[in-house]
Amino acid sequence: MSSGLYLQMRGITKTYPENDVLANDEVDFEVRENEIHAVVGENGAGKTTLMKILYGLEQPDSGRILLKGEEVRIHSPLDANRLGIGMVHQHFRLIPEFTIAENVVLGIEPRRRGIFFDRERAVCGVEEVIRRYGFSIDPRLPVSRLTVGQMQLVEIIKILYREAELLILDEPTSVLTEQQIHKLFGTLENLRSIGKTVVIITHKLGEVKAISQRVTVMRKGEVVAVRDTAEVDERELSRLMVGKSVTFQFEREAVNKGRVVLELRDVVLRQKGQDRPLLDHVNLKVHAGEIVGVAGVSGNGLAELEDVVGGLRRVSQGRLLHDGRNITDLSAVQLRERGLAYVPADRLQRGSSLQSSVMENMIISSHHDFLQGGFFRRRAVEEFAETLSSSFSIDGDPRVPIGTLSGGNIQKVILARELASQSDFIIFSEPTWGLDIASAEFIYAKILEIRRRGIAVLLISSNLDEILALSDTLVVLYRGKVVASLSNERKLSKELVGEYMMGLRDDSRGAAAPSDNGPTETGPSESGPSPGEAS
Amino acid sequence: MKRPHRADALLTGALGLLITLGISFLIAVILIFLLSKQPLTTIYYFFVGPFTNRYYFGNMLNTAIPLVFTGLGIAVAFKSSVFNLGGEGQVYSGALVATVILLALPQSSGYLGGPAALAAALATGAVLAGMSGFFKMKWRTDELISSFLISSAVIFIVNYFITGPLDDPSNSMLATRAVDKQYHFLGIFPPSKLDISAIFAMLAGVLVFFLMYYTHWGYEMRMCGLNREFSRYGGINVSTYVVLPMIISGALHGLAGGIAIMGTYHMAVKEFSYGMGWNGIAVALIAKNNPLGVLPAAVFFAYLDAGAKAAMLHSDVTFEIAAIVQSVIFYLITAQAIYSFLRRRKRSRP
Amino acid sequence: MNEQSFTFPLLHNAIGIMTPFLLAATGGLFTELAGMLNIALEGLMLIGAFFSVVFAGLTGSLVLGILLGVVSAVLAAALFAGVSLNLKANVFISGLATNLLASGLTIVLAFQLFGNKGVVRFEIPKLPSLMIPALARIPILGDLLIGHNILVYFSWLLVVLAALAIYRTPFGLRIRGTGLNAATIASLGLKPRRYQMAGILISGFTCGLAGAVLTLKLSAFVPNITSGRGWIALVAIYLGNKTPWGIVIASFIFGFAESLSNFAQGAINIPADFILAFPYLITVLAMIVYSIWRHYRARA
Repeated sequence: MSSGLYLQMRGITKTYPENDVLANDEVDFEVRENEIHAVVGENGAGKTTLMKILYGLEQPDSGRILLKGEEVRIHSPLDANRLGIGMVHQHFRLIPEFTIAENVVLGIEPRRRGIFFDRERAVCGVEEVIRRYGFSIDPRLPVSRLTVGQMQLVEIIKILYREAELLILDEPTSVLTEQQIHKLFGTLENLRSIGKTVVIITHKLGEVKAISQRVTVMRKGEVVAVRDTAEVDERELSRLMVGKSVTFQFEREAVNKGRVVLELRDVVLRQKGQDRPLLDHVNLKVHAGEIVGVAGVSGNGLAELEDVVGGLRRVSQGRLLHDGRNITDLSAVQLRERGLAYVPADRLQRGSSLQSSVMENMIISSHHDFLQGGFFRRRAVEEFAETLSSSFSIDGDPRVPIGTLSGGNIQKVILARELASQSDFIIFSEPTWGLDIASAEFIYAKILEIRRRGIAVLLISSNLDEILALSDTLVVLYRGKVVASLSNERKLSKELVGEYMMGLRDDSRGAAAPSDNGPTETGPSESGPSPGEAS
Repeated sequence: MKRPHRADALLTGALGLLITLGISFLIAVILIFLLSKQPLTTIYYFFVGPFTNRYYFGNMLNTAIPLVFTGLGIAVAFKSSVFNLGGEGQVYSGALVATVILLALPQSSGYLGGPAALAAALATGAVLAGMSGFFKMKWRTDELISSFLISSAVIFIVNYFITGPLDDPSNSMLATRAVDKQYHFLGIFPPSKLDISAIFAMLAGVLVFFLMYYTHWGYEMRMCGLNREFSRYGGINVSTYVVLPMIISGALHGLAGGIAIMGTYHMAVKEFSYGMGWNGIAVALIAKNNPLGVLPAAVFFAYLDAGAKAAMLHSDVTFEIAAIVQSVIFYLITAQAIYSFLRRRKRSRP
Repeated sequence: MNEQSFTFPLLHNAIGIMTPFLLAATGGLFTELAGMLNIALEGLMLIGAFFSVVFAGLTGSLVLGILLGVVSAVLAAALFAGVSLNLKANVFISGLATNLLASGLTIVLAFQLFGNKGVVRFEIPKLPSLMIPALARIPILGDLLIGHNILVYFSWLLVVLAALAIYRTPFGLRIRGTGLNAATIASLGLKPRRYQMAGILISGFTCGLAGAVLTLKLSAFVPNITSGRGWIALVAIYLGNKTPWGIVIASFIFGFAESLSNFAQGAINIPADFILAFPYLITVLAMIVYSIWRHYRARA
């Protein structure tokens, strides 16, 4: 087994114009032949972008790619395929109504007499690949009948069928059970032993230790470290991933907790087609005047928690209580009536109607207040909008479509709207992602203000610095479970929280459980939007 | 609240529309040159004809009246992102129901008969379209197809009644008896057929505008139409606003039928209303689904029709040129959507 | 009219009448499979109807007439496709526009070329009918299957070819993939738009033929001869659950209904109009039942 360099990416830089995020900043990345190389980092670190560039789905602003020493240009997935690069995406690209064989050969179908699809040859060809790599699955099965783990296998077969030599897997285990992960790793090791090279993007440190030879750590668009896996432990990786704490320009006064405003009791959320619960017996309490921060890596249940508390998704089991009263089965409409305020992570689709005016966006939950005999008092709405705009420093005419505002201003409008309601409870999800520092600090100030007023705040965020600065109580979700519920009176260390987030510690299992060599479970879900990592 | 548009957004929209209409007129001119042996005369009558005398002008406005109602019906539906493709059947059945009621009422019903008939016409359309809305809400049945299917079936059924049990053998058409003179709308512009329903049409435009922009149903309908997820998040009962817009749309279409009977036709003739539904879609399109814009858009559409008719009567071309011009307008308007979209995107990048 | 002599012409006619539905729906099926709503079937059929009989009249040859009629329909389909796909127009509106254009254009041209806005007759050979002995020997159905014009038989061939294309070729696989999940198709390096365009053009082809059937049988062009058949074809696609064989059955239902309504005067007590309405009603019912089934299955 040679250890020559199979892949080199030099000076890769990429900025996404939509939100001006520098996803990759002069990234140098190297993979040796026949190794399994892990790329780790938090959300927004730039890992997926780098791989998309490698696979031809994105073009870098600058930089070079060399395969086996030769410079190559990869303009599309077809180019990548031709160069022997295959990618298994985080969200599968399969057609459930077709069979496995059909999905695998789609685009390069074997033909009979030039025009007919040679189904038999396709099945044979796929069976041959299955056999060669030691899998066991019937290519005649329709994909709709497969488990998630099997679907992923199909994606792998798809790229092996196209004779990939370099396999890229993007967060492959986020949807798998422990058993399936074992199988996957066996497969990867097998592939490596017959000469393939594998790059695996992950944020699960246990997996890095289990399967890779080397690991590259990325943070905020840069490569911060490259190590031999045998020579680092998970704690160090975790530290490298989260980096130093950022101090914010504000002080949080001592908490003044009141009654329990919102409670989640033993909440379980299951979803058809997912092999395990997205929320796993979650218990949570938010008091008046308290900020409960929920931390976790995207994909571990944060988005699901948001949906459930926001009333947009029904729980499978368990109860939600507001002021002691059962609100479990209430619809979003009813929750709004009870005074729930909610700043969603998805600003543009859920949090606003881009084509409507700022004014119309501002009154979505409260428009009933502006009616008089069924008709809108236009002046009253305009005044309301203008008052809100000035107190939240939003420039511009409230009659303008909100889509023309900057991201920061859109978020301010959403914030203004939600805070204007007479609620005793508010949930924030990823409130400052994609925002500039000034807007972010403005929002932090507002959050602290409402905390002072005695409102119960649930803050869901994958931004560790933010959570640590703001929260009174810190909860960590890992694979849908609450693995920590800690008081943040004396500021917790980022490293410690990072360990919970990576699954290295788990209070729900009793004593802190240090590094797990086995593969670890995660709640499968769609990740919330994150800068530059949009998949 | 007033429709919030910056001045220049409005301007680019208007500009785009002008370009569309300009190109369409150009095509009309080219067609006329190709097809007519006296192109200049034809052009004169095509573009100016409808204004040359009271008869043409009044009739043109009269033709626009049902289109205002169907156009409003489609505009309401489109604004709420639901699709009512059953307009033809809703108009036709509304007309029949109105006729039946008026024929069945004794002479002395006076002022009750008219409103009753119109209310029934409105209800007929509302129920027909509302069914599709209901199925969509309950079981996600595609309302576009179901409204079309129901409407198609209804058209046959109405045909049956008009040519069968309700046919009046004394008139030489496939039509019912004429309704009593007291139920004819007053003519306001003789010798044309223009009647007071023109005022109803204008009222309808204003009322629907008011509904959409000044009431909370209108607000909620529009929000659901623009972004269903946001509306749901904001606490709007989204499923209601699948059914309600369809009901309103159907009601307006049914009303169109009733008004057409009381105003112009006075009897239900087989397939007399053909095109009112389809043209309503065209009108809503040209008006960009703005209720106030439906009024001029309907007149414009009627103008094309009237111009073609005048050209046909006074020159040597056939009326169907209007159809060709209309189709060009359709193509351009819907393709135009991308121009304004591009323009707006460019502007939203600071 | 006794029962015996009534059923046979009823069914035999139904098979003839269903042909335009079958042709148009088969082509429209490709568009639907590619994920696009195609309401221009009516207009494309009309174009085919007009130009095939006009060119047949001009050239004296049925074959040339059919050929050029089909070409005209394909060109119209290309316009429809271009506006919808490349100019990103709303496919529904551009479909309506296509229908409107076809309607206006054919009448304008008829008037221009023949000075007549009504029925225009042509001196062209009649569409030959075939008596295929092999078919006649099929038990029970035999007599019903013979004696139709060649385009009827061609339509059957076309359905078979369409089924083969959809289920046995890579093209069919990809076009179905485009309709099911265009993103996946794109991720494989294929271009979904190409398959959508193909779907529309194919519908132009078959609708051209469908129109030709209508006019060449009469040796005349009647304004708006299609009178809703394109819409029926669209309904047949849905009723037939978007499969070729389902479309055959659905087309037959509509053909049968029309045939029945022709014969119904006096023979049956149900008014002709109700018979014509019937297929629409069962389609709506079928759609609703299907939606309910799908709704409760998803909840399980």
